[in-house]
Amino acid sequence: MPEGKFCNKKPIDTAEGINELLSDTSGNNYYKEMEKLEIDSDLLWKTIQNTCKSRIRTWLEICAHCGMCAESCFLYQVNGRDPKQVPAYKIQSTLGEIIRKKGKVDNKFMRDTMEVAWAKCTCCNRCGTYCPHGIDTGIMFGYLRGLLYQQGFVPWELKIGAGMHRVYRAQMDVTDEDFVDTFEWMVEEYEDDYPGLTVPVDVEGADIMYTVNAREVKHYPEDLAEAAILFHIAGENWTVPSKGWEQTSLAMFAGDWAACKMQVETVYEAMERLKPVRMVGTECGHAHRATVIEGPYWAGRKNGQPPAESIHYVEWLAEALNTGKLKIDPHKRIKEPVTLQDSCNYIRNHGLKKATRDIMKHIVEPGYFIEMSPNKEHNYCCGGGGGFNGIGLFRKQRNIALITKRDQILATGAKLVLAPCHNCWDAIRDLEEEYEIGIRWSFLKPIVIKMLEIPEHLQPEE
Amino acid sequence: MGFDMFKKILFATSATAASDHAARVAFNIAKSYQSNLNIFHVMGVPTRGYSQVVVDVKTKEEVSVDEDYIAWVTEEIKTYYEKYLDESLKYSIDVAVGLPAREILRQAKTMKPDLILLGGTTGDEDETVYKKSLAGSTLQKVAKAANCPVLVVNRPAASFWGGLSNIVFGTDFSKTSDKAFDFAIKVAKALDCELSVFHALDITPLHTGKMLSQDEIEQQIRESLRKIRARYESRLKELKGYSMDVWEGIPFIEIVKYARDKHADLLIMAHHSRKVPSGDIRLGGNVEQVIVRAGCPVISINK
Amino acid sequence: MHDLLTGLFFWIALGVCLIGMIVRFIMYFKGLSWRLDRVAYTSYPAAGFKGAVRSIYKWLIPFGTYGWRTQPFITVAFFGFHIGAVMIPLFLLGHSLFLKEKLGISFFTLNATFADILTWTVVVSAFFLVLRRMVLPEVRIMTTLYDYFILLISIAPFITGLLARYQVGDYSFWLNMHIFCGELLLIAIPFTKLSHVFLFFASRAQLGMDFGIKRGGMKGTKMAW
Ligand code: HEM
Ligand code: HEM
Ligand code: SF4
Ligand code: SF4
Repeated sequence: MPEGKFCNKKPIDTAEGINELLSDTSGNNYYKEMEKLEIDSDLLWKTIQNTCKSRIRTWLEICAHCGMCAESCFLYQVNGRDPKQVPAYKIQSTLGEIIRKKGKVDNKFMRDTMEVAWAKCTCCNRCGTYCPHGIDTGIMFGYLRGLLYQQGFVPWELKIGAGMHRVYRAQMDVTDEDFVDTFEWMVEEYEDDYPGLTVPVDVEGADIMYTVNAREVKHYPEDLAEAAILFHIAGENWTVPSKGWEQTSLAMFAGDWAACKMQVETVYEAMERLKPVRMVGTECGHAHRATVIEGPYWAGRKNGQPPAESIHYVEWLAEALNTGKLKIDPHKRIKEPVTLQDSCNYIRNHGLKKATRDIMKHIVEPGYFIEMSPNKEHNYCCGGGGGFNGIGLFRKQRNIALITKRDQILATGAKLVLAPCHNCWDAIRDLEEEYEIGIRWSFLKPIVIKMLEIPEHLQPEE
Repeated sequence: MGFDMFKKILFATSATAASDHAARVAFNIAKSYQSNLNIFHVMGVPTRGYSQVVVDVKTKEEVSVDEDYIAWVTEEIKTYYEKYLDESLKYSIDVAVGLPAREILRQAKTMKPDLILLGGTTGDEDETVYKKSLAGSTLQKVAKAANCPVLVVNRPAASFWGGLSNIVFGTDFSKTSDKAFDFAIKVAKALDCELSVFHALDITPLHTGKMLSQDEIEQQIRESLRKIRARYESRLKELKGYSMDVWEGIPFIEIVKYARDKHADLLIMAHHSRKVPSGDIRLGGNVEQVIVRAGCPVISINK
Repeated sequence: MHDLLTGLFFWIALGVCLIGMIVRFIMYFKGLSWRLDRVAYTSYPAAGFKGAVRSIYKWLIPFGTYGWRTQPFITVAFFGFHIGAVMIPLFLLGHSLFLKEKLGISFFTLNATFADILTWTVVVSAFFLVLRRMVLPEVRIMTTLYDYFILLISIAPFITGLLARYQVGDYSFWLNMHIFCGELLLIAIPFTKLSHVFLFFASRAQLGMDFGIKRGGMKGTKMAW
């Protein structure tokens, strides 16, 4: 049985297909079928010849096998310095091997490679900044995931996730109607407290077009209300698109490049339709990476930029605080030791460390902000990046991976962790669940709302 | 006269012992007034971002949610409430995944119930994790945002819903309190009960800013009584019996004491969203405090 | 024999090395693709250039980057090896004279004692690099025979050069051996991992452009990636 019923090389393109795969509890049959899945070596080799060009080839060739990248990888550190976790080893023994064998690898090899690609690397790109040759193993793992996806060797949840993007243009089964309804519902819920609060849908030429993470719509809709409240109080002229509102991309984690393109194009179409001055995305790291950093390339935009200037939520917030659009009541600033999680996707990989530091200056009483060590571009992955958080099969490995962040947080002594990234937020929640170190964690929005000075005319009358 | 104020009831339950008191009241009301009872269970939020895995509030185990599992949970709930579920009861069971408060509100949004019924700890089993994410309690959030009365049963002592005869309505003279009063009057009329209107004068220095002299206190009590009369008495006269009182002290303690004194079967209060300091749940608003302490069911009204 | 080595063979070795390097260097950049690599190389030449230069420059300075600083041992061994490995072939007096005679060009030359020190440093550092490969599990796991082979052909000219220099045994034998090994090394450069001699600059430049253009450089990050 080369192609399974659940596990095969075909991407999922229909809602029925998603439901069918979902009905296979924990992907049990899916993974069983994977053991029989055949490899299309010709296709694999052809793909490599067409897409693996000088950058990756050179990386693989000149890697000195010097091991300087070892210590930089948190998964190496946290797994007892297992030499099998050295970034260069991980990539040489997988992608390197596939290329050396010209794609003629067997099923067992591919399944092992899948584990390495998703459970031994979170694509945090930290090792890339520690290699003297400038070899970015994280990028190669991203590439390898694409090959594995093509051959059907992809974790169950990510196959579903990529399917969701194909069918719903969102990482979950949230439709465009659900999005607008939920946003309006949430605004209704809060309009008593914030008179005049609205959610402007599909307004052309607004200053800001706001995009979100579908998970907020599905499970944490307060986040939508909070975004609305902050824009409202800052006096922004903002809007949300009724289509093209989803910023995330599980397809990126899955290596489904075609789905990545489909997803990001809906957002770009919204930008082209509504012509906002800027796009602001929610507090999510990989969403920013997908839509702002990588997305333009998937969509074939040669200048590497989305159609409208696109910034991360922390950039907008820092700007609003710095310019006084939002004012913090100094008495309400955080007065307890607090630390900050730097998301790899927009700190190391997009240089936004100053924005978050600016925000901390505004919202934390001087002396209470404690940096993790290391921090900024050198910070470690939360432990759940690159899709790791969501993969049941690799849950055990993921829980081990959380130890790095746990120890970093413990070392700060802070009991409050600000995590302006969905993935990091999740990982930190899970690490509290798993290791119970007695911390609280939060996005920025709810924290900032609580300490705002609300201008007279925006206050509710009683 | 038929009582038709609770035609549709949304009963949010963990289907564990924690909701037993609330369950007794829920089934009791539903049977007494031939309501449509929607038994609603929230399984928890997926533990991993976009995955299908949740920590089941009942078993505390990580489970993968799919159709089979939901069918199984529904069956479990049926078995758990077997003794209540007979022919005379019109009920349905729904199961959802997510944060309890949010999912209850979402269910309420589509179902538009006349009453939401919560156990004191409904859906909050997963204390360790969700509480600490600064999310606020289920109770507080539902009471704040619901568009219909929310009935909460916390203590076992509160789990009795018999023939109602005494209702206590606590007021703070706000607009929301007026709405709560409309509701209280309607219930009292329909069920032919006595209604006691009560106001607690907050004399905690924190509130007043200074220690009040006894003269000042008594002066304010008289004023409050006048206010009650002016606002409510004309309509209270339509009832078979009523009383009006003002006591001084810490408001939530006084109202609990008063309700006990009056042998109240039901307490009705307005929920004040804005006055509740959002972060801190335990020390939250008066209503939460009353709910935790009251010896009878409490209905909180918001809109 | 000596004539052959310093004549035809020398020209072949030098030619292969230089032409090989140039061809591969050009091929590298031709093989870059804005779409596949997801870097808008040509849209932001200034940002790209700054990123590339910083990335190369900082990594060429001993302890110049966070990466070097976190691992002092290999940093010392690496620079101990490489400073000599680059300077000696180009600036040794003997080489200089030879180059002057053959090509008519000459660079500045190293003082003899300093050259000796450098050479010995190379040999000692190489010893530690080998030791490291054998002792550290995280390096051993990746090390292949090929890596030792590369080290061997890299170090052979130094060993033989030293043997000739101190006239251990037959001077002309060692000198011929030395020249042979040196030419072997030159030929190996374009075809083996030693291509890093020039591809290092290509690879670092690429990553520098990647970060400089796309991953933070244009947001003001001044890191040396
Ligand atoms: C400007 C020229 C050069 C640059 C920038 C350069 C750069 C590098 C880098 C970054 C590494 C990997 C890091 C490491 O091993 O710690 C390396 C390794 C190495 N290089 Fe070079 N290199 C250059 C020239 C040379 C030359 C001329 C030779 C030979 C004579 C050479 C021989 C080696 C060897 C043998 C290794 C492997 C070291 C080991 O086993 O750990 N390199 N080089
Ligand atoms: C390819 C042609 C080469 C020629 C014709 C050549 C020629 C020479 C000559 C004539 C000497 C002087 C020996 C003496 O002291 O009498 C010498 C020394 C030396 N050469 Fe070369 N060489 C070549 C390549 C290389 C290369 C590629 C390296 C290293 C990567 C190298 C490293 C050395 C060293 C280390 C010494 C001894 C330095 C000292 O005085 O301590 N040579 N070479
Ligand atoms: S640090 Fe770079 S050259 Fe050294 S082993 Fe790692 S990837 Fe290879
Ligand atoms: S990208 Fe991150 S997780 Fe992956 S190998 Fe490098 S350091 Fe490790």
